[in-house]
Amino acid sequence: MLDIRELCVQYRDSQRHAVSSASFSLDKGSFTGLVGESGSGKSTIINAILGLLPVGAASSGEIYFNGENILHLSDAELRKIRWKKISLVPQGALNSFTPVLSIGRHIAEVLRVHMNITGNPAQQKISSLLGSVGLDTNIRDRYPHELSGGQKQRAAIALALACSPSLLLADEPTTALDVVTQSGILKLLATLRKEMGLTVLLVTHDLPMAASVCDELLVMKDGIIVEKDYSKNLVLHPKEAYTKKLIAAMMMLPNNCDGEKDSEK
Amino acid sequence: MRRSWLLRRIVSSLIVLAVVLVLNFILFRIMPGDAVSTIIDPNFSPEAKARLRQLYGLDKPILQQFFIYIKQMLTFRFGLSFLSRRPVWDELISRLPSTMVLMSSSMILSAVLGIWLGIRAALNRGKFTERLVLRAGAVTSSFPSFFIQLVLLMLFARTFKIFPLRGSLSVPPPSGVIEVVADYVWHMALPVLSLTVMGFGGWALYVRNLMVRALGEDYVLMAKARGLSEHDVVYGHAFRTILPPILTILLMSVPGLVSGAVITESVFSLHGVGTFLLEAVSGNDYPSAGAAFYLLALITVTCNLLADIVYGVVDPRVRIEGHNE
Amino acid sequence: MKNFLKRRSVIAFIITCLLGMFAPMLMSGYPSDIVGAPFSRPIWWNTQLPASCEFNVTAEGVSFEWTKLPPAIFSLNGQVRAEAKKEVNIIWQTPQKKYLLSSLKGQNVYWINIDARDMVFKQSIGVPLIGNGAAHLFPCAGKYSLIIQNADTASLKLMLPGGRQELLGTDQRGRDVLWLLIYGIRTSLVIGIAATLIACLLGLGFGLAAGYIGGITDALVMRTVDVLLSIPTLPILMVLAGIWGKGLWQLVLILSIFSWMGTARSVRSMVLTVRESPWIESLKALGAKRSYILWRHLVPETAPIMLANIALGVPGAILSEAGLAFLGLSDPRLISWGRMLHEAHSFGAFTEGAWWLLLPPGIGIVAVCLIFMDMGRYLEEQIDPRLSGDKNA
Repeated sequence: MLDIRELCVQYRDSQRHAVSSASFSLDKGSFTGLVGESGSGKSTIINAILGLLPVGAASSGEIYFNGENILHLSDAELRKIRWKKISLVPQGALNSFTPVLSIGRHIAEVLRVHMNITGNPAQQKISSLLGSVGLDTNIRDRYPHELSGGQKQRAAIALALACSPSLLLADEPTTALDVVTQSGILKLLATLRKEMGLTVLLVTHDLPMAASVCDELLVMKDGIIVEKDYSKNLVLHPKEAYTKKLIAAMMMLPNNCDGEKDSEK
Repeated sequence: MRRSWLLRRIVSSLIVLAVVLVLNFILFRIMPGDAVSTIIDPNFSPEAKARLRQLYGLDKPILQQFFIYIKQMLTFRFGLSFLSRRPVWDELISRLPSTMVLMSSSMILSAVLGIWLGIRAALNRGKFTERLVLRAGAVTSSFPSFFIQLVLLMLFARTFKIFPLRGSLSVPPPSGVIEVVADYVWHMALPVLSLTVMGFGGWALYVRNLMVRALGEDYVLMAKARGLSEHDVVYGHAFRTILPPILTILLMSVPGLVSGAVITESVFSLHGVGTFLLEAVSGNDYPSAGAAFYLLALITVTCNLLADIVYGVVDPRVRIEGHNE
Repeated sequence: MKNFLKRRSVIAFIITCLLGMFAPMLMSGYPSDIVGAPFSRPIWWNTQLPASCEFNVTAEGVSFEWTKLPPAIFSLNGQVRAEAKKEVNIIWQTPQKKYLLSSLKGQNVYWINIDARDMVFKQSIGVPLIGNGAAHLFPCAGKYSLIIQNADTASLKLMLPGGRQELLGTDQRGRDVLWLLIYGIRTSLVIGIAATLIACLLGLGFGLAAGYIGGITDALVMRTVDVLLSIPTLPILMVLAGIWGKGLWQLVLILSIFSWMGTARSVRSMVLTVRESPWIESLKALGAKRSYILWRHLVPETAPIMLANIALGVPGAILSEAGLAFLGLSDPRLISWGRMLHEAHSFGAFTEGAWWLLLPPGIGIVAVCLIFMDMGRYLEEQIDPRLSGDKNA
């Protein structure tokens, strides 16, 4: 579904490449995790996919989505893909909603623009979307600042799924949330992906969390993808030194989801 | 939640009005000189004065006079003008439309022009458009208003005789509704134009700053990520977010507009409340001066209150107290 | 400090102050002296119009070429001596006509006082009553003569105030505009600075009280500030000026009563931030009295804010005074730039097209405002690094 080849991105005022020769592909229906520290280039890849790189950033390589290279498409072309085919649950949903519009307005807007659904059918779809992420229908009329962190995240997921995309990019969806809410969100993502046949790319710095829900893992460091493997393999048999370091750090956490407490120490 | 906030604002405004009323009362009655002469024309004979004194209740204790005065003010019964002998209310009513037209049209025009230019400047950062808008705005808003207006008057009414030198309507006024309206527009063109030219600069600068900040926010990028058109992103999301402060500033600009209107009416010799106040104050016509000042203060206070209410309506973050952060 | 003095605006300010203070002393006469015809243009403008000239006329009369447009006034004054039995005639010879201006007999000494604006005079020489009398006496370019017949001695002055005069022309009364401009410097500066100083002192006092004493005092002061800010400024100034008085000091007081609010707010917020700082706490722990803390520590802290507020507040005061004067609500005997604009507006400068009555005072106001705003901005820049960097005790 998504095939990235030799993607290089360099920001305007920076010497080094934010992303160097990144290549990976996502199969339909897969749940992949992109793991790395802050500044490793994970969010840059997300932005490159959606064509949201800032002005002046230079990019090269290819991003194939369903066979089409979308890396250097014009804005007008990209608008057909954004949200309808590829959508985003952004980092820090705190600021991703326009403060003066209600949640319902946000969803209704994308429904109108991308799927031409208005009026009553739209309201029904909003209710069902909110229900599917575990939110009450009256959230529809609430404003972003009235919701808790967890509620906002769920609302962001609802918004991302509004137009039934085929690829969902989740950029650090659980950062700044407490552990209980975190696991709730992750379970939600896993469930929705099964129900809707979504392809999900989960970007995070939290390796254990990614390992617990994702099928495959990609490890990034300083703009380069250093290792990719199935989650179980990666955790049990890491090949690269960096990956080993990450795993070692992970081992110190009590709630290792893979249950690998006793091995590899 | 919303009730209590609204109530507090209304009480605030009422306090200001109360202060204005008391101020009026004190100024016009406890000023040096015979108390009678502030209400009754000093040119009357002593007998007439005594009778009027009785009639106006000036022989009553001052506290009672105060309550009578409050009642009069609240029911808009302002008495007779010393200068023209007509009821002050009639004079004010005949002049109010001119002032309102001047104030509202210049406010709307300068806001619309300034906002549009501000948005254009924010969208074209670093380019010629932005620099032009900022430069023009800075220049036009830093000059004293009446000087610019005098220069414009001299230039366009005397040197190039495009506009009339004075008045709201020609004397004698033309017949026929369309002709009268056209004549009125011709007379008001220069005043409104001058106020607009002086006013748009502040707006453009302010809106440009707000927009630049808004356009850099995460939610604007997200709106773009959601595949919305540039128009929707800029106006439906960025501009919509900065609308509350814009509306507030719009209404808060009214008090300044009142002062500007007084000067403008003076420069262009328009038939408005401002010139009325000026004539009354210069001619020691206390009833008229008090009434005109009261009216202008009323307009000011009402607009400040409206500003707060509108802000509350347009920005939900203010309305609903208690954030769940 | 040196950098400050080098700034152009500061230099301009110093020059303006010196000019305003010393120029009146150095020059003779008063600005209210009438130096020429009303509404004379500046001398360098429109050279078609004649410049003013005067002629000293003796018994031989005087003769000259006149090539320009007619002057504004024709005025002949002085003394003629002759024998009583002779008839003295004063004749004006134009290229077209001969006018008998005056015919006198029966005395030895005659005082001549001829002015072409005089209606009776116009009638006596057969010139239309309406319009510029002098214009009829100067119908075209050519040779003109003033002839005095049968006089023994004469010492007369023929004054022809032209349409052009002085560096900046004259106003509706014939006063020198440049003179008025220079005299006005003092008024604007004095009112502006005095009003702002008083306002800042008031603001300092109220701000300190509100911020440091807190509680009811704070609430009271802040409510007062809100109320005063809600009253429309110009109307209340108009009412107070009209009713209380238009004199210089009344104006200063009125202006200051309505401009202390901004300073009070910024002083109060500064006091609030500093009040809880460790350094003040330690002073209190050492047993310092409240007044000591206030005077010796807090007030000096406010100095930079005050300085900037003063520099930025003066333009406002000058503009307010100019506005009131323009509306006619200032002392008519006091020469100020706003007053000049008022007289220009009310006494016919617009029908005359007398732009030289508008531009000089207006540009003067703008220039002084820009000077103070520039100085104020410089002081503000100096404050910011200090406030944020300094007191991290």
